Amino acid sequence: MAETADELSSSSATSSHLLSLMSMSPTTITSPYAPFFRNLNADERGLFLIHLLLNCATHVAAGNIAQANTFLEHISLLSSPDGDNMQRIASYFTEALATRLLRSWPGLYRALNPILPESAAASNHGRRLFVDLFPFLRLSFLISNQAILEAMEGEKVVHVIDLGGSDPSHWLAFLQAVSGRPEGPPHLRITTVGEDRDFLAQTALVLTEEAEKLDIPFQFHAVVSQLEGLNIESLHVKTGEALAITSVLKLHSLLASDEATATPRQLFSPIAKIESFLASLRGLSPKLMVVTEQESNHNGANLNERFMEALNFYAALFDCLELSVPRQSAERLKVEKLVFREEIKNIIACEGLERKERHEKLDKWMRRLEMAGFGRVSLSYNGLVQARRMLQGFGCEGYKVKEENGCFLFCWQERALFSISAWRFRRYD
Amino acid sequence: MPVEFEGSSVMTMSNSASGETSVSSGHLAAAASLLPPPKKKRNLPGMPDPDAEVIALSPKTLMATNRFVCEICNKGFQRDQNLQLHRRGHNLPWKLRQRTGKEVKKRVYVCPEPSCVHHDPSRALGDLTGIKKHFCRKHGEKKWKCDKCLKKYAVQSDWKAHAKTCGTREYRCDCGTLFSRRDSFITHRAFCDALAEESARTQTNAVAVAAEKESKLAVTAPANLQEKQMAPPPPPSDQKGILQYLPQPPLAPVSMSMNCSNSSCTTTSCGSSSLFASTVATQRTSFSDLIGSMSRPEVEPPSLCLSSNGPSSLFPPAPDRRQFPALQPSAHMSATALLQKAAQMGAAASGSSFLRGFGLAASTSPLAAGGGGEAQWPEPASMSAGLGLGLPYDSGCAAAGLPDMMMGSAALFGSKPAATLDFLGLGPSGGANAGGLSAFINSIGGGGLEAYSSGRSSSPVKTWDGGGGGDVKANGRAIL
Repeated sequence: MAETADELSSSSATSSHLLSLMSMSPTTITSPYAPFFRNLNADERGLFLIHLLLNCATHVAAGNIAQANTFLEHISLLSSPDGDNMQRIASYFTEALATRLLRSWPGLYRALNPILPESAAASNHGRRLFVDLFPFLRLSFLISNQAILEAMEGEKVVHVIDLGGSDPSHWLAFLQAVSGRPEGPPHLRITTVGEDRDFLAQTALVLTEEAEKLDIPFQFHAVVSQLEGLNIESLHVKTGEALAITSVLKLHSLLASDEATATPRQLFSPIAKIESFLASLRGLSPKLMVVTEQESNHNGANLNERFMEALNFYAALFDCLELSVPRQSAERLKVEKLVFREEIKNIIACEGLERKERHEKLDKWMRRLEMAGFGRVSLSYNGLVQARRMLQGFGCEGYKVKEENGCFLFCWQERALFSISAWRFRRYD
Repeated sequence: MPVEFEGSSVMTMSNSASGETSVSSGHLAAAASLLPPPKKKRNLPGMPDPDAEVIALSPKTLMATNRFVCEICNKGFQRDQNLQLHRRGHNLPWKLRQRTGKEVKKRVYVCPEPSCVHHDPSRALGDLTGIKKHFCRKHGEKKWKCDKCLKKYAVQSDWKAHAKTCGTREYRCDCGTLFSRRDSFITHRAFCDALAEESARTQTNAVAVAAEKESKLAVTAPANLQEKQMAPPPPPSDQKGILQYLPQPPLAPVSMSMNCSNSSCTTTSCGSSSLFASTVATQRTSFSDLIGSMSRPEVEPPSLCLSSNGPSSLFPPAPDRRQFPALQPSAHMSATALLQKAAQMGAAASGSSFLRGFGLAASTSPLAAGGGGEAQWPEPASMSAGLGLGLPYDSGCAAAGLPDMMMGSAALFGSKPAATLDFLGLGPSGGANAGGLSAFINSIGGGGLEAYSSGRSSSPVKTWDGGGGGDVKANGRAIL
């Protein structure tokens, strides 16, 4: 290694030729690079892409548009949304970086990224594909249902509030489980908070039908609202009923705050929104609250940090797909486009209130929930066993469920990707 | 007897207007011994009150539906009260019988059929309607037939009740048996052979894939010898995990977690580890069958069935995950592995100004000044493997890390003899060289610089697919 370093320093004089070549747009000089790039096998290309990505991110973070532009060009030669795994990751990350670069020109940025009302059908489709192709959300549903069942043992009137992110299959399974209780099913109310009216209406139909079949006294209410402006009164929590709350990958959106206009004092507590939300939830005295979140820190103020974390996190998710779904599968492409691409873009390119995907790790959530007056409920061993059993049935090696401090982590090859924890309101405060 | 009279009036009141029982409770207290409790006491069926009156009716009487017949119009009625009310319509004298003033003796009925268990007075039934239905059901002809499922009934009310539920709710097992009740369906499934077969098949599939991966990755894991001897792949380990809930220490980056728990059990029996391996292997099939039959989530009633066959997506039809063929782990490294490799290369290499030579890092000063906190990369040491690349970027030389990695990769990719690869494509070895990246770097760092600066010429360039495809496997092993 030492020799090569010496060689390099001695050849810095001739590097000016390289300089001129590299600074030219690679599209104008196809021949010098083509054979090199063609020589790369997939792994080498992947490594090269990573190097290029990191450099590009540094320049984007520093605002060096010209250099970042060059890197983007090089990367775009190698990456592709339907190439191999690393190529896809690179293409979505560069898209995000490029969008981020555009922020220097607000007009351009806004013109190319109009604030559309979220296409509900597309995001629902994406969410459903995510539930289908990965075991994570199904594990979350299973474990939270088990936790709710255990907490509601003996309760005659149960009210479940779904703060969003659930699939109808979640509550169908819950209905079936609750009808098999030895003491018979309780009087059950489910209130779901969401933004898509049609989706909620369909969910209502499906669940009501199933409850009738199972002979469970059941009521369903839909609250069409964003979590942010949710009016707690609209949930109609009645005294005397046992309350369970679930939130699947939604709570982090409340961490979004407008840092730009925040006063210096506010900068130290940009989490006022989440605090007040959690306080109002605690005011409902829930018997159980189950929170599922991404296990990664995508909320750092430093773009480079975020980039690194996101790269590792989504690389693991792309790996899951690579090993379980064929490359040409349309569903895989869709979930990558509809779910991952959007999340990556939001994490990297957006700031302030626009940046909703503010994932944080479990220990931060634990501290936050404890400060808000919640006490932790350990998830039961029974749930862990069932979760592991489900993973066996899923048929893809590499997925794991780990237990830590009474919470569960869903892992891919030792990398924790999602966390699930259970809470109840604490009396003393 | 005054007491009796009082008692009887009280009783009448209590029968006709139950709301007044509380008022008359004072009277009741006075004559408690003679009065029956306000609520009717029900004996267990088939165990009648010992001092009840036993009545034996003939079969004809029992089967007869209309015992009371109007003499004018010959209309039949089941009850005498109904006949009396009917007689009012004919302007015939009618008399509704009141309840007898005396305490009503409890009546029990016996079945006339001698072979029936209820023929014995000690097993008599307490209700007239009950004995009629019993006689019809057990000893009568089944005249009512269900048209959907061919079941036959002797009592019309039974037939009606069945017709309501016949075919409305059905559970079908994979073996073809049909059930109307959920609990019997679930019990059947637990023991059904067809199901056990199918789950065993999927189990062995998962085992096969796991075994393959296990053998591939076992080379890289720095496991100790004891664990190496334990060949069995992960699925039995997860099953063992059910039995022994031990925290799995992250020993190796791959799924060697089962080895930890197994080793902790068998540390004392180190010598018998091979025996253990063999017994585990032989037991694996039966164990996995057992677990396989248990592992179907639908089998257990209280557990939550989010099976892959369940209604996972309701509106658009879900792609059947099982249809995806078991993908062989590709020769390419996973993205996570690539990131780890890049981190290692970054950490291992020494500083160099390779990329600055490229001119891409000409803006080091803005990086130092304008970047400030932004250009800081996270410390490598604090992050665990896979969570951060740990690139050794200083505040001022953010882009200098890349040359480090390039150097590191050159070292890692093996030392190709510095055959001057003209990276413009000159020379015969332009496309066919297996060590593409290293050759590139060598050409830049070594003597190849003169080669390209001397000019360009065209050379036959291999197609992208040809060049890349053939080299993939070779390089894969080189990198690993």
